[in-house]
Amino acid sequence: MKQQTTETARFGRITYTDGDLVSFDQGLVGFPGLSSFVFIQHKEGSPFRWMQSVDEADVAFLVVDPAHYVDGYAPEIAETSVESVGIVSETPRLVYTIVSIPPGKPEEMTLNLAGPIVVNLETGRAKQIVIEDECYPIRHRVFEKKQSEEAA
Amino acid sequence: MLVLTRKVNQSIVIGDDIEVVVLEVRGEQIRLGIKAPRDVVVHRKEIYDQIQEENKAASGVDPKDVPDSD
Repeated sequence: MKQQTTETARFGRITYTDGDLVSFDQGLVGFPGLSSFVFIQHKEGSPFRWMQSVDEADVAFLVVDPAHYVDGYAPEIAETSVESVGIVSETPRLVYTIVSIPPGKPEEMTLNLAGPIVVNLETGRAKQIVIEDECYPIRHRVFEKKQSEEAA
Repeated sequence: MLVLTRKVNQSIVIGDDIEVVVLEVRGEQIRLGIKAPRDVVVHRKEIYDQIQEENKAASGVDPKDVPDSD
């Protein structure tokens, strides 16, 4: 496949082929115009990956397999909500959660368990699902709060 | 904004294939039923807004802040 390159704000110039792309027909919530992303491994051995926009150099989402931090994460994803990306019961898929880290405060990292990303592994088509279930918060804190933060 | 008055069990239709029914009115709460094609996504607006806000916040994470593998 033909190699393509794009400039990114965080990773400099990256090279990819069409087969590396994941495509969000409807974009992510709040980013309707950004449809093509490339996964980039954060560091060797790290559970984190970046989902870099091919269209916007400075947009990249840090993602992680939710199972790495949350035991038993298995929100009910309605079949109808993933049909539009061609996922039916037997389709192999990947589920990621988006990670948020306030600048300079890695200890305050949160996972968005209410808005997982589901990727159809056969086609690379993907979608952000909205889970309406209070068990799955939008800002799931990973590391325990320090006493100093609780006092604040 | 179009404003319509409806009673319980009455509905409105949006386009050819979306119907919103008023199921129950109890004080300040209203229960709605929505009939829509399977590919039409329906969410409570505040949830959608929160996800949007969180996505915006998450789009600017600095690689320096990512924790090393535990």
